Amino acid sequence: MDAGPQHNETESRKQLMTLMTRHQRQIFSYIYVLVPNRADAEDILQETSLVICEKFGEFKPGTDFVAWACQIAYWRVRYSRQKYARSKVLFDQDIVDVVAQTASAMSEELDQRHEALAHCLQRLHPRDRELLIARYEPGGSVDAAARRSGRTLQTAYKALGRLRKLLLDCVSTRLAGAGAG
Amino acid sequence: MNLSDSDILELNELCHAVVDGTLDEKQKATLSQWLATSAEAREFYVRATGLSASLCHYAGEMQTGEPDAHLLPPPPAKAGYPWRWAIPFLAMAASIVLLLWVSRTREHHPAAPTARDVAVMPPSISQNTAAAARPLPTTNDNNEFVAQLTASRECEWANDATAIAMGAHLRKGQQVELAKGFAQITFDSGAQVVLQGPATLDLNSAWNATLTRGRLKAIVPPEAVGFCVSNPTVEVVDLGTEFTMFADPGGGAAEVLVLKGEVEAAPRAIPDQQPIVLRERESRRFAASGMSAIASGDQRFAELSRQVQLDHFISPTGYAHWSFDDIGGKAYLRVTASGISADSAPADMEILPRPALATAAAPGRHEGGLRFDGKLYAQAAFPGMSANRPHTVVFWAKVPKDSNLSNAYAMVAWGANSAKFGSHPFHISWNRHPGDGIVGALRTDYGRGFAVGSTPLRDGQWHHIAVVFMPTTVPDRPIEVRQYVDGRLEGEGKPSPPGSDIFMKSTNAYATSGTIWLGCRLGTKDIRAERFIGEMDELFIADRALQHPEIVRLMSANRL
Repeated sequence: MDAGPQHNETESRKQLMTLMTRHQRQIFSYIYVLVPNRADAEDILQETSLVICEKFGEFKPGTDFVAWACQIAYWRVRYSRQKYARSKVLFDQDIVDVVAQTASAMSEELDQRHEALAHCLQRLHPRDRELLIARYEPGGSVDAAARRSGRTLQTAYKALGRLRKLLLDCVSTRLAGAGAG
Repeated sequence: MNLSDSDILELNELCHAVVDGTLDEKQKATLSQWLATSAEAREFYVRATGLSASLCHYAGEMQTGEPDAHLLPPPPAKAGYPWRWAIPFLAMAASIVLLLWVSRTREHHPAAPTARDVAVMPPSISQNTAAAARPLPTTNDNNEFVAQLTASRECEWANDATAIAMGAHLRKGQQVELAKGFAQITFDSGAQVVLQGPATLDLNSAWNATLTRGRLKAIVPPEAVGFCVSNPTVEVVDLGTEFTMFADPGGGAAEVLVLKGEVEAAPRAIPDQQPIVLRERESRRFAASGMSAIASGDQRFAELSRQVQLDHFISPTGYAHWSFDDIGGKAYLRVTASGISADSAPADMEILPRPALATAAAPGRHEGGLRFDGKLYAQAAFPGMSANRPHTVVFWAKVPKDSNLSNAYAMVAWGANSAKFGSHPFHISWNRHPGDGIVGALRTDYGRGFAVGSTPLRDGQWHHIAVVFMPTTVPDRPIEVRQYVDGRLEGEGKPSPPGSDIFMKSTNAYATSGTIWLGCRLGTKDIRAERFIGEMDELFIADRALQHPEIVRLMSANRL
């Protein structure tokens, strides 16, 4: 018996939801690398998600969903340049292009780094973790992190810089160790 | 070209400035030069900004359960996707998918989305996200309140053990056995039934009851359309009406007479029998042998039209009301209070921060309203709010169509005190977690649980919101919550998933010292950075669980 178009549509939605569920974070990371501001990146992610929903019929099952979705994200970033023209982190389009290529090439490494980061976070002092949460949670800021931790703004900037450096090194060391093992 | 230590140091500083938003023009030019000319620098930049993307992710998850969950997620147990931590981001994409689905569904259901709309959501969304995000533990539903005894006349109960006091709340699964007289039961959905003894009624939910024997008259307001009364021989789904059912003892037959409006009656005794629609002054008898007309129908209708005078249970109500009509650049908005003792009295609402005052005034649902622009929040001392007593919070809210997920928390928030669990925050907001229900629907987080409705609020329209809080004696569910959107019950409380311990004690009296907060989210130590964007009007807080007719009166007449 022919399942009919309604069944196909349901299956398609199911597949879309599964893929989005699995790969949402990777798409966000890709966007964030190009637009390193959480709110802006989330806006573009929303727009990208809409386009993915609209164009999902064009996606070929079995091919690389993340690569396909990141292509859409890339064009949303280009399209949004005017919107983010006021941003301090705006790079020229040729810079964005080469960074986008690098990010695509490093997608597997970024996944590994993301997982390694969870281990590194575990090793931080709780006070340091709280500072990072206050800075990176939705709506968070360096200012909020400073207030909540009782630091001055300048000290908070420095502490966050130190922690990011620490985590970057920890992740690299962990991956190097895993590669050696 | 390999990066030297000093190169790495410089790139580090530049990347910090990028993610912290402090990059100046000179730094931007330097970094652009690096990125344009060095593959190693680009890789370093991608790793550094990727780290911040991951931190956004983990910090979001640490916050996902509820405020200030300070436990870190455990490292992934094995290679593969730790998607449990992806919930904050899943929210965004899934919300898009959900919205697309909801908008498609609404094309087929022009009326406001209902619980039934939720039920027809595709398994890929309703199950996949829920299962993927957080499996909910089972709970003892028998303890849930679904109705209240609101009036009676010459009422005698079948036995002392099952006698019900006037004004008592009735639980799901409870059987009401009336020996004689009349008893009015008001369901949380808004449906009211007047039971005439001898009669036995089982309360299955706020939307469903079973008449085993005797007679009932059901009055169903528009908000409770879909209320169902069943019997072994027939199931009657109300389509907005007033009807009577007589059930023969033993369940052999039932008679249904429609006084106003119409009902859908589905015979149950005969297999494959199609439901029929009964309209005003139509009636049927349903039995094992089939459907038949009711003898002396006109006479029966005349008898049923006679009103029975009932003695109503009237509970005194104390309340606080902020109308927001007097903003006009003022920093304090006047409160009107009635029936609240001096030690629990509410104060005027203070708008913060001061610079936001200029944009605070907005056209409200009734005269002036309060606009939250993403910076503004407000607070008012209200000591009575923190007590472990029933409350009802009622207000109008308008949420912009394009409101971001980060602006969901909170329309109203306060800290509540519990002798056993200490202080903990309550939030009335809109849902941003697709695994918990429809994104954009009314959400209430409370001690050890949450409730999510079904009407998307992000449509730029005014919606009437009412949330009823009732303390219980059940150890793992100390609070029960009922949510009403535009007068319709939607979203009863569910327990929070294990691991997201939102019932944390607060150590700082600032956030939990009997203060009502509008437009912001509470943590355990301070208010959080998140702000609600939208408008609010006519905030009432009553000191008891308001009944559905009272909530509807507030909606239509703006008074208690």
